[in-house]
Amino acid sequence: MNVFISGGAKNGKSTYAQNLAVQMAKERKCPLYYIATMIPHDEEDRARIERHRWDRQGLGFKTIECGRDIDREIDGREGVFLIDSVTALLSNEMFRPNGKVDAEASIRIAERLSALTKTHDGLIFVSDYIYGDGVEYDELTDGYIRGLAIIDRALAKACDRVVELYYGFPIDYKEVPEK
Amino acid sequence: MVLLIGGAYQGKVDYACEKFNLSRKDMYTCSRDKVEMPDGAAIINNVEDLVWACLANGRDPLKYLSARKSRWAKSVMIVNEISCGLVPMDKDDRAFREAVGRTTTYLAQEAIAVTRVFAGIGKRLK
Repeated sequence: MNVFISGGAKNGKSTYAQNLAVQMAKERKCPLYYIATMIPHDEEDRARIERHRWDRQGLGFKTIECGRDIDREIDGREGVFLIDSVTALLSNEMFRPNGKVDAEASIRIAERLSALTKTHDGLIFVSDYIYGDGVEYDELTDGYIRGLAIIDRALAKACDRVVELYYGFPIDYKEVPEK
Repeated sequence: MVLLIGGAYQGKVDYACEKFNLSRKDMYTCSRDKVEMPDGAAIINNVEDLVWACLANGRDPLKYLSARKSRWAKSVMIVNEISCGLVPMDKDDRAFREAVGRTTTYLAQEAIAVTRVFAGIGKRLK
């Protein structure tokens, strides 16, 4: 089963995703990977990563730090993969270190990750619901929001379960498949 | 009337077209520039922009819509979810956000069906 998880900030997405991943790996007796997509830029980022590492301690995750082209890391491996987050992944691929903006990033990620769901079983994607504030942003920011929506919609279509975390409550958008 | 609610870029229009076998040609898109509600459009999109136009012209959006109920009674109406952010700094933006909230709540009461579209997938609320 592949799962797409989204929702507002601090609504319990990561915790829910971690528990789900641990449970899936336990049932299948397979390796458990955490694809850490955040590339730290400052102290705040580093502290956040440290906090997340601490949260995952003892859960049995093998952490793979990979900010771009994550399909290459996943392809060829077997197991349950927690990809947290799609949001950071798009940011890394769209806003390049040389200052250039890759306008094709969202479509490329949407295609590659959708393709992964065809060959892999046990992918858990975490994204962020950033579409409900009604603010009109500048073109670049709006392009990023639109890009994330393209990926979200592609993943929601491709995954077996689509879950919104709402203050800790999981809301399913597809009929939950039988195990 | 069927009401579709959802955040930006969630695929609300695609969902309406697919679900009710409609096309974008059957759609009226509201504008911030004019207070207008055509008769019998199959899809009425961006209703929040009509709310903006009403406020900009000193009209009450709820009164405006309820007085023209026959024009949208059989339509699919689409409203963008804009209520989940910081309270806007600007007074007009604040009034707009509140009016959209009240209007959406009113339309949800009037609707025979209400669906929230999330990442392209609809979840029926009513």
